[in-house]
This record gives sequence, C-alpha cells and structure tokens, in this order.
Amino acid sequence: MKKAVSVLLSIIFIISLAACSGGNSSKDGEKNVSIMTPFLSSVTTNEMVEALKKQAADHGWKANVIDTKGDVGQLASRMEDVIASKTDAIIIVSTDPNQLKAQIQSAKEKNIPVMGCDAGYIEGMTMNATSDNTEMSKMITTHLFDTIGKKGNLVALTYRAHPGVLKRTLFLDQMLSENADVKKVTEMQVEVPGPIESARKQMESLLLANKEPGSITAVWTGWDEPAIGAAQAIEASGRKDIVVIGIDGNSQAVEMIKKGSPLIATVKQNFPGMAEIVAQQLDLVFQGKAVEGTELYAPASLITKDQG
Amino acid sequence: METTKITKSSSSIEWGKIFRSYGTVIAGVIITIIFSVLNPDSFATLDNAINISRQISFLVIIGIGATIVMSVSEFDLSIGAIASLGGVIAAKIAASGGPIWIAFLAPVLVALVVGFINGWIVTQFRVLSFITTLAMSTILGGFTFWLTGGATIFENIPDSFRLVGQKSLLGIPLLSIVMLLITILFWYVMTQTAFGRRLYAIGGNESASRIAGLRVKWNKNAAFALGAALAALTGVLMASRLGSAHPTAGNGLFLQAYAAAYLGMTSFKEGVPNIWGTFVGAAIIGILANGLTIMQVPTFMQDVITGLIVIAAVIMQKFGRGSR
Repeated sequence: MKKAVSVLLSIIFIISLAACSGGNSSKDGEKNVSIMTPFLSSVTTNEMVEALKKQAADHGWKANVIDTKGDVGQLASRMEDVIASKTDAIIIVSTDPNQLKAQIQSAKEKNIPVMGCDAGYIEGMTMNATSDNTEMSKMITTHLFDTIGKKGNLVALTYRAHPGVLKRTLFLDQMLSENADVKKVTEMQVEVPGPIESARKQMESLLLANKEPGSITAVWTGWDEPAIGAAQAIEASGRKDIVVIGIDGNSQAVEMIKKGSPLIATVKQNFPGMAEIVAQQLDLVFQGKAVEGTELYAPASLITKDQG
Repeated sequence: METTKITKSSSSIEWGKIFRSYGTVIAGVIITIIFSVLNPDSFATLDNAINISRQISFLVIIGIGATIVMSVSEFDLSIGAIASLGGVIAAKIAASGGPIWIAFLAPVLVALVVGFINGWIVTQFRVLSFITTLAMSTILGGFTFWLTGGATIFENIPDSFRLVGQKSLLGIPLLSIVMLLITILFWYVMTQTAFGRRLYAIGGNESASRIAGLRVKWNKNAAFALGAALAALTGVLMASRLGSAHPTAGNGLFLQAYAAAYLGMTSFKEGVPNIWGTFVGAAIIGILANGLTIMQVPTFMQDVITGLIVIAAVIMQKFGRGSR
C-alpha cells in the first residue's frame, strides 16, 4: 500500500513539476506564438524553428514549440489544444496544410492567424513563406543534367508526401520527359524520420544491384539528408563514377561538397530568411495591417565545390 | 480496545483495496484536477472537454482493437500500418467518387482479412505474433506507399466523407459518439458473451482451453481480425477528420494504443486487458497531451511524463497482483 501510494504521489509530483516548468504565464500584452511541426528532428526544419524562436524573441513574443515526431494526426490534436488555450498565432513549419484544413478553419473562426514556414498555402491561412521549390529544382536539376552531359542512368530518392519536395520531384519528372537520354533507374521514397540512414541503406542495395560502371550515373535527391546518405554509401563502395545532388544547403551537405565527396551540389534555401518573412508578416498582423502576400519567397542560391 | 483495533485494520485494508483497484482512475482524476486548477480558463471548459473527447476517439478505438488481441495473450504490431492503409483506401474511394458507405466499409473488410491472415500465420505455424505482425506491418507500409505514391491524398474528397470526422450532433462530435458506441459494444462482447469469455479463457491458459474443447485457433484468428478491423476504422475516421489521408498517418498510434491498453490493465481491478480500462488509459494519455500542451510544457517533457506514467502504472499493477 505504501509503495503504491508513493508511486501515485510520484506521478502527481512529476505532473505538477512539469506543469510549473511550462511557464504558461505570459507577461501582460506579451503575444503567445505556437510553432508547430511534425519534423523537428529534420536539420532544416530545426534550423527554421530556431530562427523563428529567435525572431519571436526579437519581437518580444513568447514562442511555444510543439513537435509530434512525424504524426500529423497528433499535430491536428495539438493545434486544437493551442486554439483552446487562446494562442495569439500559429506557425506551422514544413507541414502540408491540407492535412490540417479543419483546424486551420477553426483557428480562422477564432481570429487566430495561421502562418506557414516552408509549408504550403491554403484557404484560411494568413500566408506562407517558402522557397520557390520549382525554381530550386530547376536550378539543381539543370546543373546535374549539364554535369552528366544530359545522358546517363539516374536514381531518384525523394519523399512525395512533403508538398515542397513533391514540387521539386515533379520538376524532375518534367526534365526527365524532356531528356530521353537520361533514364530513371528507379525512384525510392525515403523514410522520414531517419532520412540519412534510410537513403544510405537504399543506396547500398542499389549499388549492389547495379555493379557495372555506368549503370548508375547520378543520384537526384529531394533534399540534402538523403543526398548525404547516398553519398556516404557511394564513398564507402569506392565507386567514383556517380554524382549526387541535394537541395536545402544544410551545413553537413555543404561541408561534403567542399571536401569533394560524390555530393557535388545543392541549392541553399534561405531558412532564416523564411523565418524573417513570417515574423515580419506576423508583426503586420499583430499591428492590424494586411500581409504583403499569401505566398512569399526567400531567394535560394546554388552551391558547388567552387561556387557559393 | 480489541474492537477498535479491528475497525482500524479493516478500514486500512479497504483503502488499500480501493487504491490498488482504482489507482489509475484516481491518478486520472487527480491529473484532471491539477490541470483544471492551473488552467481554469483554457483546460476546465466544456469546449475543451469536447475537444479531448474528440481527440481520444482514435486512440480509444484502436486501443480497443489492441485490447482484444492482448486478451488472447498476443500482440499485433501491424495496427498502425493497418490504420494508415485504412485511411488511404477510404480516401481513394471517396476521392474517386465512390459511395461514402463503401469508403467507410471497404477498409474495414480488407482489414478483417489482413487480421485473419495474421492470426492464421500465428496459430497455424506457431510463429511469434511479434514477428508475424511486424512483417505484416512492413508489407502494408509498402502497399500503402504504392497506393499513394508516397503523397497525401486530399484532392476531390467530398464534404460527405468529412461529415463523421468533423461534424457534431447536439454539440457532441460524431467521433466521440462513435467512440462511445464502440466502447459499449465491445465491453458487451468481451464481458457478456460466450465469445468474449472464450478469448479471456484462451489468454489465461491456452493449453487448458484447448483441453476444455475451445477452438483456440479460430478464436485467436477472430481476435486478430477484430483488432485489425478496429485499426482500419480508426484510420478511416482519422482521414475523415483530417479531410486527407497520409501514408503514415496511423503509424504513430500503435505504441500509444498499447500504452493505453497497459494503463487500462491497472484500472478497474481486473489486472487483465479490459475495454473500459483501455478507455481510461487513452483518456489519461489524451488529457496529459492536451493539458501539457495548454500549459506550454515542451513536447520532449510530455513524452518523458507519459512514459514515466506508463511505467508507474505497470508497477502499480504489479502491487495489485501481489496483493491477491
């Protein structure tokens, strides 16, 4: 009985402690901004969240970060919770808003602005800041096709479930249809979370299945993490005839490019720039002004061994 | 003097029994009180109670499925993948203009077959259910990705498909009503019918049940089939609520479903998987997530707390068993 009571008391103590550490109390007039994502473990998403937190601090807002570890259903529930807690604004990061239509509508009805940071834009949201995914895909895919002389065998590692990555992959589809000499060996969906390890395993298997020189010429990836995994697998196999490209410009990928790994190029997205745009627009909303646009872009730049 | 001693002693035993039998429920009530006191304006409101009831509906339904499989002392690790597949099949049918009742029914029927196959492999070849259902989960995950091309399905989904997931009846979400009906139905099936008692008998002692003439294989297959059907229904309801289907939407539910079922085993004194216990377990998980989010407790801390509470509940269950 005593042991059981102590267990129960421990539960109560833990919750009380956590509740007290939550820091729910905002100073008078301080705005509460809920930053929500299912992909906080992703390097790029994390970079955006950190930039948003900094922007919030600079503007004197209280930021509350919520991550649901890849679970969009949970994200919908947590969004309902922050709406119930009368948050002042919601920023969804790297999330397809089509999966949160009802919650976005509910926020709109309660006059809570929903902003997107590298998400998408749908009716009911205030705005979304992102990179022009089609433009970035055009930049990197053209660079890749030029590098291999518009001829060869290409592996695509992507994740079409992400709206931004889908746009990039659709542009690859278009380029492939316009360049008949570039053949797609296969397209694989990378597992998220854990894209580096997933892509590495996929690439190791593909290399075993395609041992002949020239059987794989290039690896196109939807973002940098699978590019890192694929490049690691190619390096480990000792193959020198395969090049890899990524998109995002995360620091690990840039370092590998500069060192001369199979990863030859990426497009650097301006994640702090996106966070800055979102914060600027949210500031306008808090001042009662209209946003400057519903879909605003932060410019991206190509990074190769010699450029960027 | 002697009389006083006896009275004190029985009073102490009574409290001990109550605590051991209903410790989880008491903990749930206390958690609710703490959140209500700390956040009267946001947590302790009718709107939020309705909100929580809608949020836990998925976990309750899939948790009941897990409970049925656990009642025969087996595990189904594929319920998350079945939920994802269920949502995708339903959304595909709805988006292609098919009748909504077929969109709701077809995934459940597919899951009945998948669950039955799980059970058949486990019972026929005496393979561990962990391994069989883990493999099935991988197969279904691949199949779901193939069906969707990895993309979220949201285009052309009619409003009628969203009705159950998003509408209310007299202020009560339809999802909450469905959850309650399913809980009552399966409480009745598991406790008031011969079928339910057979499942518990098999889970309690499979060899003895076989000797007693129970059709162990058939009953286990049925348990797996029912568990899978409820998982698929969860996926369909989730797709209806989100107005979209994601190829991994249900995957996160499976661990929570077992956490709810284990928490439930410590409720209502049974110490065995039970339907209302799972309901309480899911409610506690839902209340914790809701309350801690409202309190702006960081999400990593929420995970730590939920995990600690499951461990604490299992320890309490051990004390409960030890007392018998």
